[in-house]
Amino acid sequence: MKRRSLFYSWVPPTIGAEAAAPDEGPSTGDFRQALVRADPRLSMFNPLPRILFHDDFDEGINGWTELQANHDGNLDNLRPVLRDMRPPQLSSCTFFDIGTHGSMNGTYALKLATRPRPFHASAAIKRVTFAKPGLVQFEMYFTFKAEQTFDAGNRRWDGNVSPSELDFGDFTISNDICEGDPGPRYICALKYWNTGLDGKPVRKWTYKTSLHTTTKMERSGLPTQTQDFHVRNVTDWADVPGGHQPLCFNETATKVNWHYLRWLFDTRERRNTELQVNELLLDLRKIPVPMYDHGYRALNHLLNFLVDVRTHRAVRNFLFIDSILVSVDW
Amino acid sequence: MIRRSFTAVIEKNTTFTSDFETEPYEAGWATEARWFVRILELKGDGAALALTPQISPDGLFWCDEGREPILMSAEGLYSLALRGFGQWLRLKARLTGNQPSVKVLIYLALKE
Repeated sequence: MKRRSLFYSWVPPTIGAEAAAPDEGPSTGDFRQALVRADPRLSMFNPLPRILFHDDFDEGINGWTELQANHDGNLDNLRPVLRDMRPPQLSSCTFFDIGTHGSMNGTYALKLATRPRPFHASAAIKRVTFAKPGLVQFEMYFTFKAEQTFDAGNRRWDGNVSPSELDFGDFTISNDICEGDPGPRYICALKYWNTGLDGKPVRKWTYKTSLHTTTKMERSGLPTQTQDFHVRNVTDWADVPGGHQPLCFNETATKVNWHYLRWLFDTRERRNTELQVNELLLDLRKIPVPMYDHGYRALNHLLNFLVDVRTHRAVRNFLFIDSILVSVDW
Repeated sequence: MIRRSFTAVIEKNTTFTSDFETEPYEAGWATEARWFVRILELKGDGAALALTPQISPDGLFWCDEGREPILMSAEGLYSLALRGFGQWLRLKARLTGNQPSVKVLIYLALKE
């Protein structure tokens, strides 16, 4: 606790902080924290002892690439739900009314953009492996937007709440972990629903309750669907207790307000640990994580990070990320 | 620092049977852009694909970049380079012929 209370007193007490304590002695930890705090680019974050990567998208794409299903060289064999996840973009957050908004630090952000088609998703992935089991922390500054539309139809505008806010569907953070060859393998996924499948605002965090259907599973004949690549059935999401959270859309489709997100998971315990989004801190340790009951070869020590955005309507949805930092307690 | 570059796969084994435009892609950070279009299949009597690069200040409203479209009437790889394009890029595709069908891979290669 000393490490966090020294410099991050605005952060709510961390669940399971004992497990997150660094290996270094107090003086080493304090010195390290002073160095982190002195660097404006790092002091935005609350890293665990070892920073695995720090991606500022002013510096380029940093290894975030389009998620794609497996294939044998023939792209016709891509699973339909994962054949069109769209390439990520380096965006200056430029809009028709104000021009360039810029990112939180600098000019460029990572942008995921869906097609303007109901339940189309855009997903980006960064692929690494892990050297030891333990805590892994994913932090990012993000914002979410629906594309500006010019025909509000019958939707009323009161000068405060933009009709376009209801054009935004959901976004998800997830991982993909395989401990050895041929497993065990599991995927943690947390989805923020701005609107539900019925189009009404819900503004809540959920976790998935079924497995991501893999190419291997689909080719073995398991039924699947094309609206949500995370789960077997599109409704296989359960509320995180206490997870209702209105975020800051800020009145128009062209204002960008950056949000802080910190997601901690544990590859030793094979579970989520906690999620912090601005003021909200959620204990995730009791949330079940579906495990694959069959083996996967060639994924030894797989550690993948994914972000995706999904529209529910015929309007493009965007997820913008200023920067990402992933740290571990190895 | 060496110059950064990025290649986006804009269409992936997609089959079109009528005119289309590609999804908007932000490229304001790049000085150079080059489209690569690989026609995997082209069917229909007299089928041909004409591609015109388009530009946009906002990703919403588009105009032609100004050059003549490139015409493709056989399978193969085609290319088109751009500079001074501003912020957003896309391709406008016009498909002609008798019941035409085209299957394409489209890449956008960007460089600082």
